[in-house]
Amino acid sequence: MDRDADKRKERQDRRFIKRETQTAAKYLRRLRELPGAPEGMEPFYQALERIYVQLQAVEREAGRKTVGTYCVMTPPELVYAAGAVPVKLCSGDYTAFSVGDGVVARDACPLVKAVAGFQQTGLMPAYADCALMVVPVTCDCKKKIAGLLADQCEVMTLHVPASREDVDIEDFVTQLYVLMEKLEEVTGSRISYQSLAEGFGKVGYAQYELSEFIRLKKEMLYLIRGSHAMAIMNAASYMPADVWGEALGAVNQSLRKKIAQKEAVTSKKLPRILLTGSPVVFPNVKIPLLVEEAGGIVAGDETCMGERGMWDPAVITDDSFDGMIRALANRALRPCPCPSFADNARRIYRLKQLIQENRIQGVIYHVLRGCLVYDYEYKRIEEELGSLGIPVIRLESDYNEEDIEQLRIRIEAFIELIKLKQAPEKARAAERSF
Amino acid sequence: MEVAVMDHTNIKTRSFGCYEKEYVDSLNQLYSENAELPGFRWFLDTAYAWAFGEQDRKREVVLLGTMIPEEIVIAAGAKPRWLIGGSLGTAAWSDDLVPRDADPVSRSILGYLHRPGAAPGPEALYIVPLVNDSMRKIAYELKSQGRKLCLIDVPPDRKDRYAEEKYARQMKELCAAVSRHTGTRVTKNTAVSAMRRVSAARTALQKFLEQSRGRAELISDAARLLVHNSYYLADSIDEWTRRVEALSRELAGRALCQNRKTGSPPAVLLAGSPVRFPNYKVPFLVRDAGLAVADCVDEAALKPCISYKRSSLRGSRDQLIQMIAAKWFRHDASSANIRNDVMFEMVERIAKQGSVEGVVWHVLKGQMEYDFELDRIEPMLSGYGIPVFRLETDYQYQDVEQLRIRLEAFSEMLEQNRYRRVARVS
Repeated sequence: MDRDADKRKERQDRRFIKRETQTAAKYLRRLRELPGAPEGMEPFYQALERIYVQLQAVEREAGRKTVGTYCVMTPPELVYAAGAVPVKLCSGDYTAFSVGDGVVARDACPLVKAVAGFQQTGLMPAYADCALMVVPVTCDCKKKIAGLLADQCEVMTLHVPASREDVDIEDFVTQLYVLMEKLEEVTGSRISYQSLAEGFGKVGYAQYELSEFIRLKKEMLYLIRGSHAMAIMNAASYMPADVWGEALGAVNQSLRKKIAQKEAVTSKKLPRILLTGSPVVFPNVKIPLLVEEAGGIVAGDETCMGERGMWDPAVITDDSFDGMIRALANRALRPCPCPSFADNARRIYRLKQLIQENRIQGVIYHVLRGCLVYDYEYKRIEEELGSLGIPVIRLESDYNEEDIEQLRIRIEAFIELIKLKQAPEKARAAERSF
Repeated sequence: MEVAVMDHTNIKTRSFGCYEKEYVDSLNQLYSENAELPGFRWFLDTAYAWAFGEQDRKREVVLLGTMIPEEIVIAAGAKPRWLIGGSLGTAAWSDDLVPRDADPVSRSILGYLHRPGAAPGPEALYIVPLVNDSMRKIAYELKSQGRKLCLIDVPPDRKDRYAEEKYARQMKELCAAVSRHTGTRVTKNTAVSAMRRVSAARTALQKFLEQSRGRAELISDAARLLVHNSYYLADSIDEWTRRVEALSRELAGRALCQNRKTGSPPAVLLAGSPVRFPNYKVPFLVRDAGLAVADCVDEAALKPCISYKRSSLRGSRDQLIQMIAAKWFRHDASSANIRNDVMFEMVERIAKQGSVEGVVWHVLKGQMEYDFELDRIEPMLSGYGIPVFRLETDYQYQDVEQLRIRLEAFSEMLEQNRYRRVARVS
């Protein structure tokens, strides 16, 4: 009986690995085949390939442990300071999602289902290797998955406050100190002033390169495709910050060359789309790919797996140890436009800023099925952007490929609509005033 | 549509919309089930008055949900007005404001806030416990409308060593916010008085629930539920307490002259998402399927246990508030928790007692927290040999016949289990 069960499990595992690697390889191939990629993209593809196709753990120095993190509120600086490597475990895997579908509540979001699926199968080294998982409680799904994960591995939760008053920041600072203790316990290394400063240095370097990347994108329109930018941002989850920063530095170099040679990815005036809402996590990159295959270009993103995830640097105003921890707490909460906060007016401000800076002509509001917090904010954002004459489309999707053709038709229609609008007022489009 | 309604209250025969119809239908059913119980009529009137009567809208304090310690609000001289959901009509009013997948309780609460002519006034203070995503976003909606808010961010992890401290601090902030709103200072005396009043109410409720348990011939299960729910609808807590005590006395008197029914139906525990008046389709269906509700376990089920002994009402005002916070935090079975251990333990205690033969696990569409909890609770109950029936629904009535068939099948299964048990014993 046991042998039969073992054999069945073995067959299931084989099937899972086959499907999972095939899907990831397919999306990676589509990304690679998409024309107009800058030079230096290979390290990012390799990082994604290593995790999702070769099913290997995150590449790191020997002896270093990995700490799994979810959401943008977990400060990677602390993890580096403890001598470990942070790995963002939010996943977009379709195969893991189908396994997780049977593990967690039906109405849970696909991201959480994919996480539960990987945890259930135990076949993903990036998950299995984690010495600790840090789960900020940002939404109901994350709240419940924290309880579920705690049955299987070491978990530490962070209570993300619903508002950002001084007292909430104080509470978060206290939690970061608790997290620090936990990290020290798990890694066996003490977090010192020096190691924390080094952690800041690593992440700061990556953030510097990212800010340069964003600046270059703004300098010349159509410099890089959104799908490629998404691949870069997604790879940050599985690469140590310094390695990722170095690879991004090479891409920036290539972008600078392109600017000098006035070499854009296209000579056409493709409709410029901003992607916002639920995160686009590899391999679920179907929406940016569809946009770019349908004749648009993803010119910016406001998602937590995209630029928002690393954009805001920690600002140290007091260079004591406590001052650095406070800087991390402030960075995690104050500028964050995550819809988990009760009052999130700054997200609208940020969207308007992105629209202006990237000369956006239309916004795709991505809602993963079951992602209630983003869905709640859609109406308000639609109204706000509607008043500025920016068309918005709400795309609800799941982690499967069954809705691709439906999505394609809707995206094509949206892009056509923008093109129709674009024709008479092409000349004025770039000067839209806020 | 013409609906004939009870003749003992001030309800007249008149035309009703969806909102009114649901209230009147539920009240009619409850009245017809318990027509022989005069003491119960006050509770029907209270529910009616809440739904149709004029509200006192002067500087009111509105509590969203049941998980805010009302003793603090009362101590600050306010009369709490609870919005706890339960109405299909009000849920429909908020359709344009919430996403499709939002749960009916939040929809209904938001709908009440937009009820034409009866919504809380612009001067009201809203106390919002941030127990789930919907509450967080309702708070955003209210803030955008310029309403006055006091948010209670319930810490989700009980293992967090600072959780209780954080909760207690928020209770002090709540106290200050309500005080500012009403202009009445909370003193030790007002706190003690409020704690005594709510303790009396909760003790009366606990006594009533114990006395009426398993006595469907005296009072129906849905009526027991209404008595419990009417706490949130009553104008005066003291009056409500007196009425519950009177009803308990009446039941005790009737119990003396009326024998227990023989061949009682299988007793089930109704647990999970809260059942709120007027949407009583689940308890009515449970009754129709030939089952008896022995107990109800929802987020507020442990509230009757939060009472304060006279001897404990000592210390400064802040110490009293600290005590309220500590008690509430320990008894919080809301969906704010990463693991709802309080609810789990409550269900396990009932299962251990052996007083229930099955569990109806009620999940309102969109409240997936209860589905996550079911994954833990179901194996625990199967260890006690108690079958679990997961009943997913919302406030719509279209699924009534489907649910009826499923519940009848469950009821039959529980009957068969009884035979099997007898056969095993013999």
